[in-house]
Amino acid sequence: MLRRTSSVRRRLFTYAASLAIAAGLGTGAVAQDLVIAMPASNEPASLDGHIDPYQSTWLLNSFIADPLVVLNPEGNYLPALATEWENSDDGMTWTLTLREGVTFQDGTPFNAEAVKINLERILAPETASAQLASDVGPIAEITLDGDYKLTLRYDTPWVTLLDALRRTPIWSPTALAKFSLDDYDKHLVGTGPFTLTEWVQNDHITMTRWDGYGGWNGMAADPGPVDVESLTVRFIGEDAVLGQFLQTGEVDIVFGVPPLFVDLYSDNPDYKFISKGQAGTGLQMIMNIRNPPLNDIRVRRALLLGRDMAAVNDILYDGLYTASDGPLNNIHPCYWEGAASVYPKDPDKARALLEEAGWVDDGSGVRKASGVEGVEDGTPLTVRYSILHHKEIGEVLQAHYRDIGLDLQIEVIPGPVQLDMVQRRDFELMYERQRSPSPLILDQIWNSKWDQPGGWAWTGYVDPELDALVEQLRSIGDDEARCEVAIEAQKIIMDQALMLPTLSQPIFVAMANNVEGFQIGAEGNWFFLQNISISE
Amino acid sequence: MGRYVIGRILQLIPVLFLISLIVFAVMHLLPGDPALLMLMGAEGGAVPPERLVELREQMGLNDPLWMQYFRFLTNALQGDLGASLRFRVPVTDLIASRFPSTATLALAGLAVAVAIGMPLGMAAAAHKSGWVDTLCMTLSYIGSSMPVYWLGLLLILLFSFNLRWFPSAGGGDFRALVLPAITLGLLSAGVLARLIRSSMLEVLAEDYMRTAHAKGLSSRIVLWRHGLKNAMIPVVTMIGLQFGALLAGTVVTETVFSRPCLGRLIVTSILAKDYPLVQGAVLFLAVVYVTVNLLIDILYAWLDPRIRYGH
Repeated sequence: MLRRTSSVRRRLFTYAASLAIAAGLGTGAVAQDLVIAMPASNEPASLDGHIDPYQSTWLLNSFIADPLVVLNPEGNYLPALATEWENSDDGMTWTLTLREGVTFQDGTPFNAEAVKINLERILAPETASAQLASDVGPIAEITLDGDYKLTLRYDTPWVTLLDALRRTPIWSPTALAKFSLDDYDKHLVGTGPFTLTEWVQNDHITMTRWDGYGGWNGMAADPGPVDVESLTVRFIGEDAVLGQFLQTGEVDIVFGVPPLFVDLYSDNPDYKFISKGQAGTGLQMIMNIRNPPLNDIRVRRALLLGRDMAAVNDILYDGLYTASDGPLNNIHPCYWEGAASVYPKDPDKARALLEEAGWVDDGSGVRKASGVEGVEDGTPLTVRYSILHHKEIGEVLQAHYRDIGLDLQIEVIPGPVQLDMVQRRDFELMYERQRSPSPLILDQIWNSKWDQPGGWAWTGYVDPELDALVEQLRSIGDDEARCEVAIEAQKIIMDQALMLPTLSQPIFVAMANNVEGFQIGAEGNWFFLQNISISE
Repeated sequence: MGRYVIGRILQLIPVLFLISLIVFAVMHLLPGDPALLMLMGAEGGAVPPERLVELREQMGLNDPLWMQYFRFLTNALQGDLGASLRFRVPVTDLIASRFPSTATLALAGLAVAVAIGMPLGMAAAAHKSGWVDTLCMTLSYIGSSMPVYWLGLLLILLFSFNLRWFPSAGGGDFRALVLPAITLGLLSAGVLARLIRSSMLEVLAEDYMRTAHAKGLSSRIVLWRHGLKNAMIPVVTMIGLQFGALLAGTVVTETVFSRPCLGRLIVTSILAKDYPLVQGAVLFLAVVYVTVNLLIDILYAWLDPRIRYGH
């Protein structure tokens, strides 16, 4: 009897289990929750992009609030909440035509007044906007022409407005009025595909699909809500965990796979893998030319001639990092192609230059000063290499430079120490990186007027010709013309050997095979989810 | 006892004042300017110098140092620890959102430490100089020597990535607490095991223990009923100190397991030179730490009737 009962029970259980499995398979069920893991350093202090100055904040905002324009993966601006835009010939007036029929997630209609309120909020002193206020620029006047057109007038040419607007979230004026500045980032309301549900700081952000979304973004393939029901972004503090997280099945996408773990996904048929370069300066080292030994151009040129970055890339990253041969890295739209040939690896020439500069080889392995102005004879040739991360690049370079008799001393420093050293001009090679497809970063780093607190011009080089060239980048609207000017500036910088280019760090993204429609942005550290879906 | 407790509470005042002064001074001595750090870390690039001045004014950083400290102190006495420069929300809100997770992790770590350390120490003491003693003490040394970072990653590799028993990261539910608690607890377990062993050995050598045996009581009853309570007196003190250390020292574990706790918040705030947050959070932890020690002292008196405070 007992045997018969347990046999019946077993058959019933098997039957029920089969039904459950069949139900699951039969419906073609789509996973509803998209989970993305990113480094904990990507988590902002405030989710309000008007206040917080980080790319990751604006990226997270873009899931909740469409911007006025978007930069597509090919580097072209597409309409989003703005359908047309025009910049006057003098660069001082922008006219924006807005999309009609858009509403915010709380039902507030989107119109020119809403955009005006957002821009004024960014520029208001009480907002204390750390970055967007500078990027949007000194708008002198905003005028409305009906409900869907507005004009921004500046007192100075402002050609980079689109770059600012693509990052600027447009928030609901109703919500902005309802919540205080300090409280608003917990109650974000935009026009984007998701609404903010929960933010547990240092852990995750959860957003829920907004069924009222109309696909008001040039990246959306279809009008209407996205396919996934919710989006959870998890912030992971440890590289070793982030690198292997995808394999646990707890997440669908890892954005920012650490280089050490790329091998797990790059040739693995079980995953999709993307490597995207980030246009900008690359991981460059700025030279302080105020003091010996780098005040001598021969020593600076020797540094550039004495290294082999292709070998560094192979040794450390299996060639996965991107080349960066000049002040703009090799994937930047305005990169000067000739930069790579200015200082090809030539240790013999490097040694000759050092000898000529008075750094003699005494057989000890490190050259000593002999008749170098401002340096006591017998002083060893040491150069400090001050870095925030990627110490391993310096370690390989140490070996290269030992070969030419130079002692590279690596010091890993935190951000506050970096700023302090820069302020006191107490450095020789200092890490600096800017990520942007705009050549305007050349003005920020190489215009000597920015050699002041808050500025990025650290090298100490003053050249009116270079200053004038990079200054022009702020007022030339045409992309091709701007690149031509940027190239001329790069020639001077390379000729004077003012910086040591190393490599450029791509963004590595890995995802499960059932994730479709993930689109990475032109800059690498941006992506779009308008067309995302997850299949069974 | 009442007079003793009041006296101890009054002693806290100069201690906390000194801590607040030291933290304030150290934070302002460290290199870096919070406004500059925020702007230089931003993605857009250089800003005009007047923007920097503006931001410093908005952050209240242009006031003289004594005024900044006085403002902090007077507000702190009223329970207001100021607003974080980075997060722009009250420091008390940030602490309130993080501290429960930190306390939970510390308590869980302590529970693991006691659960492992006590049996190890007692077994070692009961089998002094035998192979059990050697084995237990070896395990305790291994436990307290393993680097937290390494141990945490090892546990994640085995139990999360390979066996999929526990999550590898996040605050989550009870399952997410297991691995970090073991990581923290093993370190303290080693310390506790050695202390319990030496304390038990002292007690086991006492005359009353010999009397208990002579009365015919079993070894188990002698050990647990007569020996353990007396041996626990110094151990209770150590547990209290361990809890304080765990509260303040979980930052590495929090980072490895990506837990939303106070330690990580303090470390990142130090790097960002978020003065109010660092000052407020450290002061808060100091209050918690000294309060725990006070409670331990009171418990001590309850455990040992020979101890009378204030007499």
